[in-house]
Amino acid sequence: MINIQSGIPGFDQLTVSELAEGGIPEKSTTLIYGPPKTGKSIFCNQFTYSGLSNQEPCLYVTTDKGIKQVQRDMMDFQWLIQNYIQNQTIYFIDGISHLSGGKFEGRNNIVSSSVSNPADLMVKVGLGTRNVYKTSNHFRSILDSLNTLFAFNPDQMVIRILKAYLRRITEAGGTGLISYTEGITDPKTEKELISLFNNTIRLNGHYIHIKSDYADFNEVQNFESAYTITDKGIVVNENNFKNIN
Amino acid sequence: MTLKKTHIPKLDDFLGGGMPEGSSILFSAVPGVECEAFGYQILNGIIEDGNRGFIFTNVTDPNNIIYEFKNYGWDLEKYLDEEKVFFVDGSSKFIGLPTIGKYSIDEINQTEEIILKAIEDIPNGVGIINNLSTLIDYLDEDRIVKIISEWNKKAKANNTILVYIFTKWDYKTELIQNIKNNVDAVVSLNSIEERVIIGQGFMVTNASWNHPDNKMVLFFVLQPGGIKIYVPKLLVTGPYNAGKSSFVKSISNKSISVDRMALEKFPTTIAMDIGHVDRDGFVADIFGTPGQERFDLMLDVLAKEAVGAFIMVDSSAPQTFGRAKEMINKTQSESIPKIIVANKQDLPGALAPEKIRDVMKLDDTIPIVPTIVIENNGVETALKTLLKNLYGE
Amino acid sequence: MVNKKMIPRIESGIPGFDELTSSNDGTGGIPENTATLIYGPPKTGKSIFTNQFTYKGLTNEEPCLYITTDNGYKQFKTNMDEFNWPIEKYLDYNTLYLIDTISDVSQGKPSQSESYIPSYINNPTDIMVKVGSGVNYISKNNQRFRSVIDSATTLLAYNENMLIIRVLKAYLMRVNEAGGTPIIAYTQESADSIVETMLKSMVDNIIQLDGENMYIEAMKGIGKRSSPYQIRDSGITL
Repeated sequence: MINIQSGIPGFDQLTVSELAEGGIPEKSTTLIYGPPKTGKSIFCNQFTYSGLSNQEPCLYVTTDKGIKQVQRDMMDFQWLIQNYIQNQTIYFIDGISHLSGGKFEGRNNIVSSSVSNPADLMVKVGLGTRNVYKTSNHFRSILDSLNTLFAFNPDQMVIRILKAYLRRITEAGGTGLISYTEGITDPKTEKELISLFNNTIRLNGHYIHIKSDYADFNEVQNFESAYTITDKGIVVNENNFKNIN
Repeated sequence: MTLKKTHIPKLDDFLGGGMPEGSSILFSAVPGVECEAFGYQILNGIIEDGNRGFIFTNVTDPNNIIYEFKNYGWDLEKYLDEEKVFFVDGSSKFIGLPTIGKYSIDEINQTEEIILKAIEDIPNGVGIINNLSTLIDYLDEDRIVKIISEWNKKAKANNTILVYIFTKWDYKTELIQNIKNNVDAVVSLNSIEERVIIGQGFMVTNASWNHPDNKMVLFFVLQPGGIKIYVPKLLVTGPYNAGKSSFVKSISNKSISVDRMALEKFPTTIAMDIGHVDRDGFVADIFGTPGQERFDLMLDVLAKEAVGAFIMVDSSAPQTFGRAKEMINKTQSESIPKIIVANKQDLPGALAPEKIRDVMKLDDTIPIVPTIVIENNGVETALKTLLKNLYGE
Repeated sequence: MVNKKMIPRIESGIPGFDELTSSNDGTGGIPENTATLIYGPPKTGKSIFTNQFTYKGLTNEEPCLYITTDNGYKQFKTNMDEFNWPIEKYLDYNTLYLIDTISDVSQGKPSQSESYIPSYINNPTDIMVKVGSGVNYISKNNQRFRSVIDSATTLLAYNENMLIIRVLKAYLMRVNEAGGTPIIAYTQESADSIVETMLKSMVDNIIQLDGENMYIEAMKGIGKRSSPYQIRDSGITL
């Protein structure tokens, strides 16, 4: 069982078990979810930046914020990605800037799509995975977040899109991290959504709860600890580790 | 029965000439494969032929479609001004934008009625529905099939052609089958994958007016240009006298389709065998290269455009194996799939494939197929083996 | 290496607020170019907050794109006058761009200013078209501007909820792209929890007024804060 470094201090230490060293299981799919404003996007960006600084390319699908905003958000934590954009280690698919009325500055590795045109989104994901795969078959993949997809498409359609997306990413060997705000769909859809993932990370503002489904070993691992958002990003407190299994 | 051309290369051939007026055609795409272009290209072509049409969109706003047309090199605005085309805007109201087009769908339940009106407006024309999938989760599944059948009935009565763009998300098999049963023709848009999508292909799987050619054709979408067919090139190379000419003749169909541009790259003093394979849904141009060393520069150029290679050797002439390896290296740099065709297995002293592998020190990933080309022995196996490598079927 | 991370802020105009929200680099206020949701039970001062915020900007030569859905122009003007925030002259200067979705203008517009724009509460498309024009108008000569929607509640009451969510998303994207700093007011529990959670997830900062205390539930660059507040003749004070 190979894990990749999360880039979040304390996270890898928290998730150590007999089955694996800590971190996020490679080539798995993880849902990061929780109430609004608990640090999910920050986690995604931190995870991305950690990969980029380790020469791991990233396919980043942004649907809540335009790419300009994502870059600015990352700058707030000193995660500077301009070089990675230049040398094409990161590939952006921006599904929301078309609403902003501004001119979209695309390039080879920054493309525009639309949250209300899922077929086009998947075409761009296909191009993006091919592009990233050429660089390395170990890549990280972010989808931040499902929220806007739910606002612009019926619930079932989002589930379909998600299934196709997860399939595409895992087929190409990527490690997927997808974010979602708890409570923006009905409980049934939410339950179905959560069941599509290998692992879940829940941030509730104070505690981080990680659930890993190691299907190969027929085991589910649970970890919990407190966390804070600092000006360097998310930090998982090493003092209250709870390996609850 | 008037057939209207789709203006998609090869598609009209597969459909027996085109689409009958009043027929419905479904483009069913695997998620990730480009599909909108088919609808737009058909509309553009049919309008250019002097008919009228409409585009129903529920995934992107009309202005964006006009922009897309421009990217392809087509002028939708002119047709809109000349009232040859109109929009049925099912997208703008949805996000609070002002509608553009003759008809606006303010509420999803109006969709059925309004499309019926649009069809009536353009007898002998073409209507593009982009995209059917988006409707399915808003209306329920049974309604969708009924609605499609109503639309198709109306279209038949008006001699209007309906083109449906459909993304094959993970719907129930029954639903997909029901939808397919309610249209006259189905074109499947598939992806060719090797961990990631490396190619796209379309294939007519059903046409009620004709027995379709179930061939899959690779395509890509160019901006400008639209949908173009991709005819892959296969190389036949190897040392002098390995049997390349015979091999090319043996696997080729009678009809020859040659890429004129590629030919022009080579001076006419060089004899090159050119053939064309058209078999089991696979289409390719075959180029047999000369074996002499002085033509090696050409190998480079050819290899750049080739997607696969047959390296032929005379199994009874191990002294030429070194030269064969050299030629592998010359195509290796492009990392294309290749197989060794160990020809002349009938000659005395011919080495068995595995012995050849030892002598040439080839690793197991390169298949070696024994052949006796002049007896047509092993030739089909060689072709199938390389195709398998190419497409991973 | 010094961590020079300064998130630019704009003055809220609410005494005590900028101090409450000050970060390590010393400045406080609403982070510029971020979206804020101000919510709470009815009658806790949300409109007063947004009006105070608007007026502060106007006096600082920061124009404001104001979309009013609860009060027509007359009532809006009265509300402003109550706290001694006269806005007529800003309409004349065209630094206050007011989209009025409530007043019935069939008998004539209450203001002849070119930046007074009537619209219709039950026609979100029309509102969005006017918002688009407003954003273009204001941002042409101003890099920095404010924007207020008071309130999302009424928009949700008159229209299909998810449509309003999409419209608000488009609004936030437009204002953000043009460099503005928007605040959306919303009455807690006036729509179902899915809508409310969506709203909260669409903004960067969340402020709750419950009648006694102001809770900063989220704000870019700082953690949770809170403070008691009062509504005085001069407006809200912490």
